Amino acid sequence: MIELRHVIKKFAGRTAVDDLSFTVSPGEIFGLLGHNGAGKSTAIGMMLGQVWPTGGEVKICGHDVQANRRAALQRVGAIFETPVFYDYLSGFRNLEILSTYTAPTSPARIREVIAWVGLTGREQSKVRTYSHGMRSRLALAQALLPRPELLILDEPSDGLDPEGIHEMRQTILRLQRELGLTILLSSHLLNEVEQLCTRIAVLQRGQKVFEGNVADVKAARGKVALKTADFANAAQLLRERGLITATAEDRFITLAEGRSTAEVTQTLVAAGIAVQGIWQHEQTVEDFYLNLIKPPGPKN
Amino acid sequence: MFLAQLKNELWKLFGKKRTYIGFGAFLLAQSAMLLAFKYTRWQSDVERLLNGNGYLAAEFISVLTVSVVMLIPQIMLLMPLYATLVGGDLAAKEAEDGTLRMILSRPISRLRLLFVKWTAGIIFAMVLVLALGLTAMGFASLMFPWKGMFVFAPGQAFSVFSANEGLVRFILSLLFMAVNASAMVSVAFMFSCFNMKPAAATILALSFLFVSMVMENIPFFDRYENWFITHHFKCWLLIFKDPAPWLQICQSEIILFAVSATAFIIGAMAFQVRDIKS
Repeated sequence: MIELRHVIKKFAGRTAVDDLSFTVSPGEIFGLLGHNGAGKSTAIGMMLGQVWPTGGEVKICGHDVQANRRAALQRVGAIFETPVFYDYLSGFRNLEILSTYTAPTSPARIREVIAWVGLTGREQSKVRTYSHGMRSRLALAQALLPRPELLILDEPSDGLDPEGIHEMRQTILRLQRELGLTILLSSHLLNEVEQLCTRIAVLQRGQKVFEGNVADVKAARGKVALKTADFANAAQLLRERGLITATAEDRFITLAEGRSTAEVTQTLVAAGIAVQGIWQHEQTVEDFYLNLIKPPGPKN
Repeated sequence: MFLAQLKNELWKLFGKKRTYIGFGAFLLAQSAMLLAFKYTRWQSDVERLLNGNGYLAAEFISVLTVSVVMLIPQIMLLMPLYATLVGGDLAAKEAEDGTLRMILSRPISRLRLLFVKWTAGIIFAMVLVLALGLTAMGFASLMFPWKGMFVFAPGQAFSVFSANEGLVRFILSLLFMAVNASAMVSVAFMFSCFNMKPAAATILALSFLFVSMVMENIPFFDRYENWFITHHFKCWLLIFKDPAPWLQICQSEIILFAVSATAFIIGAMAFQVRDIKS
């Protein structure tokens, strides 16, 4: 559905996106992660034909965006971080205007989409009277008008309150479940990405530093949480016995290759150190992301 | 589809309050000028000018005469301001507001989008001129009778016409004014296609017009007057010459059409290569 091959974008000598390649398959919810300025919005801009790549190839729905923009974007909907509309016009009129840039759309279809996003009854009000949440729903409505197969969401929860974020999350899941859409989601909210996405790519300074399944990220061998009255002594003992390779935050240990939590417990109890708890710490996408983009520490 | 897009572009344009600033300013200026003409020495000066040239002033102080008297300063001073204000908004305001990004996530080509916007701008220019002409006549008819027409524009025209002949000339002058306004909108539109704020596009377009006007009025540049766009703007007054210099009028009109087309092409090229980012 989306295919980026060795895409490069330079702005006045600064490289915003550097040799970026990834593929999003039909039906996936794909997360694009990265800090501000990592190149996410530039990459999305190139997918939508708004930003010209300096090099490489961007294909949407099998069509080259640069060479055949019309075909590539025919069944694509997009939402950007701050939903902006013609405030002085009604929600309905806004949808009418935006739909003419894709294909003729009947008023019945516009009403259908308005009902789907839950704006029925307010569609004739001027957009300037809408709350941020309602604007987000209107943004979703405009994205759904062309009956898209692919939805590109650039920070869709930006500026929403917790209730709005939850609603947006549920809507994204509903979009995939009920309409079978392929979704590319760029977000700063790591737990949102963890709950929604099947696969992620992480960008750092324009380069892709990771691409993989969220399930693999979470299942990756991580740290073991150890709860004991004397963590320092326990850690020293375990290190001497060759059971662990590292400790962190006075509560996590990393097991040595081939060692188990049972051996750790046994060793500590035998040495008279009470173990109050020991369990495999499941890595969150947030942990993974922060470790991935963490700058290297000073060398000793 | 083009017509639907154009209709919606006009909805956007005429739905904004700032689009009506020009209309409002013209109404105010016209009522002020009408009162000034009626109740100051202005009217008696015109009557003296007519009488001094052997015409019966009472036959020519009319709706058409006063309409043209009101239009001359407005076309020179206010028209560029309001035409460039709207022209400068056409692409740059959407880019500034962020709606351009939403439009360009749809499968419409940039060239087509710009053509729709430019056409809407040209329609605005025509509506503005038409409203200006009609309101000038409407205001004048409140205080003056329907009689012959007298036009005096120093260096351009000194003519009298019957009411019917005057009306035809007045309508033609509106047509030429619309071409002037379209050229002004097009120049502002061209700047608006570059990566800049709407106000900057308007100011650049106004600067371009003012520089052209200033240079045109420097005696050294007399021989180059055809190179200045403001020189060709005067062709709307030439229609009041008797006989009308059609060759000169056609030449100016063609040049103004060419300026508008060139401005659109330059704007479209700049817009085409631009990256649209938030």
